Amino acid sequence: MSAYIQKFSNYMYDLYKRYENLGYRVKKKVRFIIGRIFLYYVLIEMAFLFILPFVYILSTSMLTFEDYLDPTVFYVPTEIEWGNFSKAWEALDYPRSFLNTVITSFGAAILQTLACSFAGFALGRYKFRLRNIFFVLVVIVLLIPPQTTIIATYGLFVELGLINTYFSVLLPAAFGLGIRGALFILIYMYFFQRIPDAMDDAARIDGAGPLRLFVEVMLPQVKSAIVIVFIFSVVWHWNDNYEAPTFMYRENVLTLQPRLQNIREYWAKKIPAGESEISKALTEPMLFAGCFLVMFPVLLVYIFGQKKLVAGIERIGIIE
Amino acid sequence: MAKKVVKYKKQLAHKRTKRTLSFERRRQLEGLSFMVPWLLGFLIFILIPLALSIKISFYSPTLNDLYRGKYVGLANYKEVIKNPSFGQAVFEAFMNSLYQVPLVVGFALFVAVLLKQEFPGRVIFRVIFFIPVILSGVVMSYLFSEDVGSVSVFSQLVQSNTGFMSRLFGGALTTHIGNIMWSSSVEILIFLAALQSVPDILYEVVELDGANAWERFWHITLPYISPFVILNCIYALVDSFVDARNPVMSILYGLMVQGTKYGVASALSWFYMLLSLITILIFILLTRRWLR
Repeated sequence: MSAYIQKFSNYMYDLYKRYENLGYRVKKKVRFIIGRIFLYYVLIEMAFLFILPFVYILSTSMLTFEDYLDPTVFYVPTEIEWGNFSKAWEALDYPRSFLNTVITSFGAAILQTLACSFAGFALGRYKFRLRNIFFVLVVIVLLIPPQTTIIATYGLFVELGLINTYFSVLLPAAFGLGIRGALFILIYMYFFQRIPDAMDDAARIDGAGPLRLFVEVMLPQVKSAIVIVFIFSVVWHWNDNYEAPTFMYRENVLTLQPRLQNIREYWAKKIPAGESEISKALTEPMLFAGCFLVMFPVLLVYIFGQKKLVAGIERIGIIE
Repeated sequence: MAKKVVKYKKQLAHKRTKRTLSFERRRQLEGLSFMVPWLLGFLIFILIPLALSIKISFYSPTLNDLYRGKYVGLANYKEVIKNPSFGQAVFEAFMNSLYQVPLVVGFALFVAVLLKQEFPGRVIFRVIFFIPVILSGVVMSYLFSEDVGSVSVFSQLVQSNTGFMSRLFGGALTTHIGNIMWSSSVEILIFLAALQSVPDILYEVVELDGANAWERFWHITLPYISPFVILNCIYALVDSFVDARNPVMSILYGLMVQGTKYGVASALSWFYMLLSLITILIFILLTRRWLR
């Protein structure tokens, strides 16, 4: 054993000596290649854990019932079963609930992106007397778990007549609250703080008012923050299975998430009683087909937004 | 005559000071007016429900008349403090976040620094590291659920994995690592955006001075993005405090589903919220000097 170690270390030492004798440019190249190998190794290793559940959903959604029960079928289906998707489509009432989800999530995201930028701008660029108090308030709002207030909020929305309308989600978002609105304000605040004061003064001297300063000078500087906030807002509203279903529970305004939650019950009703255990397993591939249908649009949004994110980032940070 | 001049001069002086003051004040008003929409929303959608939930915590209401139950005073709070399972859950939640936050933020920073480099295929990796956020919600709960028909993905991995790591540490650690990695997506994206805002000129300058990658990271990157490190720490803290898998949150959910203990649930959530608020404020005060 020790002989092998001796041999190995000799070999490594040899390699190192050879590397030492290389010229400067070749050395740099070697270092670059080693760095790249290390980079790809680490990233692929970690990406595996991230991508595994996604692959699991994708492959399970295409399995037939027999394949799902067969332990020799490992991730690769023997034949693709498209029936799962059509079943899930029906159970989700896809077009209707897709439209509801798009209205709530994209509407809320646009409103939140706008409203949070105002508050973030005020906190990041102005020094007024109550600023620190407002900052603490924002942190407090971030900290309030939705479970604390949801019953009281429901009572309030009944009074305001917002139950079972899109406004129960859109209205809080329009004021910069809604799902994690406080986090978005903090993100904006930190980004606005980065902008040098000279920018502010220059615009003021050129005669820009506060609104013009905000829209034409400051907002273009925080493009990456805007894209981040928008993407997060869309995704979190899309995946919201707590607030939206509580406030919008009637059939015609139901979003995708609660429908996905009840996808098993929907088909359990259709299958005759008595064979419940088998029928449950039967719905498993269909369940993941539903999962795929629900998450696919958001994945598209992210892939699209990712390009914009990079493009937007390249314009900022020119002057410091 | 002379008196009049003096008076006039006084007026002038007064006016001048007033004008400079009003300029300052105008700035302040501008700042305030940008806050107004949020403050309105805060009043309607946060303050009123919060006040109502405080009220609920002193009553024993039912769902039918939420605001008019029997007044019980501090009994709900007494129950929260007396019940040992509540205290244990709160302690557990705090211990969880104590070890999770540094790991999550450190991991996110590491990944973000790797992903910031220019290399072919980085867009694909960025999409991959964002997958946990997309899968949150019901999809996630299906993936991690362990009932009759299904088995959690990660435990499947652990069972099938006879590799080095699981033999050395057992399955629990693998699941922990999976959890930590899965809750760091948001932080990775925030760090990426922050890293992009570091001007390239700085790197070029120190490279000319002969700094290697390690020194570049510690002397340029980290000081420049330190506010975002703190933002991410705050976010990770909050995320672990209000996570649905948190023991306190599951107790709250249980109390609400039972439907008779809204008062106790409100009291517990208030107690827990105050504790976590104090923790975060202490954290912010401690890290104040890195903010700018």
